[in-house]
Amino acid sequence: MENALRKKAKELLEKGEVKVVIGFGWNRDKTFTTPVFITKPEDAERLVWNPLCVNNLSVYLTRKFKDIQALGRPAIVAKGCDIRNILVLISEGQLKREDVFIIGVTCNGVVYRQELRKGELKPEIMPTKCHNCDVRNPHATDFVVGDKSDFKPPESPTGMVFNKIKEIDSKEATGRWDFWVNEFSRCIKCYACRQVCSLCYCERCITEKNMPQWIETSAHPRGNLSWNLTRAMHLVGRCTFCGECERACPVNIPLNVINQKMITVVKDAFDYKSGYDEKTHPPMIVFSPDDKDDFIK
Amino acid sequence: MPDNFLKRRDIGKLIASVRDAGGRFVAPALAARQAVYKDISSAEELDDDYILPRNSYKELVFPQTEVIADFTIGKDGVGLKGRDVTGRDTVVFGARPCEAASLESLRSVFTWGFIDEFCTKREDRLVVITIACTKADGACFCTTVDLSPKSVTGSDVALSETDAGDYLVHSVSEKGKAFIAKHSDVFKAKPSADAVVKPIIMPERIKGVDLEKIKKFLSDTAHYENPVWPELTRKCIGCGACTYVCPTCHCFDITDEATAYGGKTPFEGERRKNWDACQFDNFTLHASGHNPRDTQFKRWRNRFMCKFNYYPKKFSSKGCVGCGRCIRVCPVRLDITEVMEAISKRP
Ligand code: SF4
Ligand code: SF4
Ligand code: SF4
Ligand code: SF4
Repeated sequence: MENALRKKAKELLEKGEVKVVIGFGWNRDKTFTTPVFITKPEDAERLVWNPLCVNNLSVYLTRKFKDIQALGRPAIVAKGCDIRNILVLISEGQLKREDVFIIGVTCNGVVYRQELRKGELKPEIMPTKCHNCDVRNPHATDFVVGDKSDFKPPESPTGMVFNKIKEIDSKEATGRWDFWVNEFSRCIKCYACRQVCSLCYCERCITEKNMPQWIETSAHPRGNLSWNLTRAMHLVGRCTFCGECERACPVNIPLNVINQKMITVVKDAFDYKSGYDEKTHPPMIVFSPDDKDDFIK
Repeated sequence: MPDNFLKRRDIGKLIASVRDAGGRFVAPALAARQAVYKDISSAEELDDDYILPRNSYKELVFPQTEVIADFTIGKDGVGLKGRDVTGRDTVVFGARPCEAASLESLRSVFTWGFIDEFCTKREDRLVVITIACTKADGACFCTTVDLSPKSVTGSDVALSETDAGDYLVHSVSEKGKAFIAKHSDVFKAKPSADAVVKPIIMPERIKGVDLEKIKKFLSDTAHYENPVWPELTRKCIGCGACTYVCPTCHCFDITDEATAYGGKTPFEGERRKNWDACQFDNFTLHASGHNPRDTQFKRWRNRFMCKFNYYPKKFSSKGCVGCGRCIRVCPVRLDITEVMEAISKRP
């Protein structure tokens, strides 16, 4: 599989179809995978693909990375779940479909965090998204690497995140509030959640707008709450549950729980799930006369 | 030769006596499944299995957020009233030797030209108790920056663990000696005869890293625009994770916040000193719109320069103590030692 990937990358660079291949490579000790930017055909050998390839590289397609855009047309190595983010970017006018060459990789799941893997990939170290994945055979690709997967996601979603949502939903409002205030109290305002998210592509985040300062930059409980809630609201109907924000969070705030909750709410209200089709716009940015609610009519 | 002995089962007593005297006892404890420095009240809270806490204990002298002044806005202008800091007796127990070496670096910055009492007054009342490492992970690289699990720089009391989980105690500084004297009931004078010290782990020195060469390369301004920077650090996403967990990163931002709650009027507020990070894209953004570090690799280059050129040159202290925290938290696994190695190889 890796060979097919390298061959394709090499060919794309040789032919000049793309100027850079954004993919995964090894760190020095071959213990962790890390993003690589291949610009020379002979370097395509550095590309790897395995269950440690957790990063959603689509973040590098956003306008936050002017220097990467300056390299020229990119190809990107993407799992089905990563492609969902690319499609949201396209539907939101951040990118044109033809601006990127998508090398889709069929996937049998990745690890939740790279340091968890000792030897093989076991279900208990896979994130909830993998247990329910319906894009193991990547969609919207220009080229696919890997054998077809015949994995069928379960009828009703399973996994830690869904269990946690049930647990929190069963609490009274005050219990839910206390739960989140406590979780957010650890936030150190490093903004790794935002930086790693390809859908947080604003060049000036609301937290950086300081005339007036909408969100307090202090990492006190009030500032943390306003930051985390505002960020969540800005991802409603857009977030794909790729899990990057939670993975990046150095203090283990269960951001996936918020994300999945929002996704469920949007699904129930609008029958919409983001990232399957670049032509459909997220529900929060469209007006539809057939809307179930009538408050706006 | 150790000076004293500390029984594991006496740690509870030590915690109680520090707290009874109004002090804080900070030690590695679990929070959301990982070890972090926490203000603890009992020995049961201690994490027995940590390598290095996720966060750095710099927040004890340089809090993430703190009020430095209060302001009121009135008809005749703005009234600003500074706050005093007195610090609080604080013990950090179970710190690692690498990190202890960083306090000196923080002090150099916070006393450079201007004495920042918010830091120094806290540091004066901080006692650092380190424990030599018996475990390390792939990110530890203290030996590569000329430190080791045995170093005692910055430590007030240095402990080594015995097989039975007790500690041999070495007092390093005057502060440490005074602390031991004050708590002489728990620091038993003599180690038991059968105490065997657990083997100390020595992370392997990363071959090919040469600190002098790095410093030389960085000092030459011609290398400022070297293509090596974008090549090595293009993947950086510009979060603050590495700087916020780093024991020597010290940048902060001053911000004014209204406090129109808790019975206050909308014309009152607080001036706060908050952590800031050179990795943020607006860190060097000028009011004109110009940004001298307009792409991520330039910001990353700055962090590296700070650690391996500016710090050693300006303060002759370490900008990086090799704790490896930045490597562990980085969402894209940008490994500072790989950059050190690559730069060492340049002509
Ligand atoms: S899971 Fe997190 S990183 Fe991924 S799209 Fe949603 S908010 Fe962004
Ligand atoms: S990554 Fe975590 S700690 Fe950092 S800003 Fe986001 S929620 Fe806060
Ligand atoms: S730069 Fe990294 S390894 Fe060095 S002291 Fe800071 S966090 Fe530790
Ligand atoms: S090096 Fe890693 S942790 Fe540091 S700013 Fe870049 S992406 Fe964030």
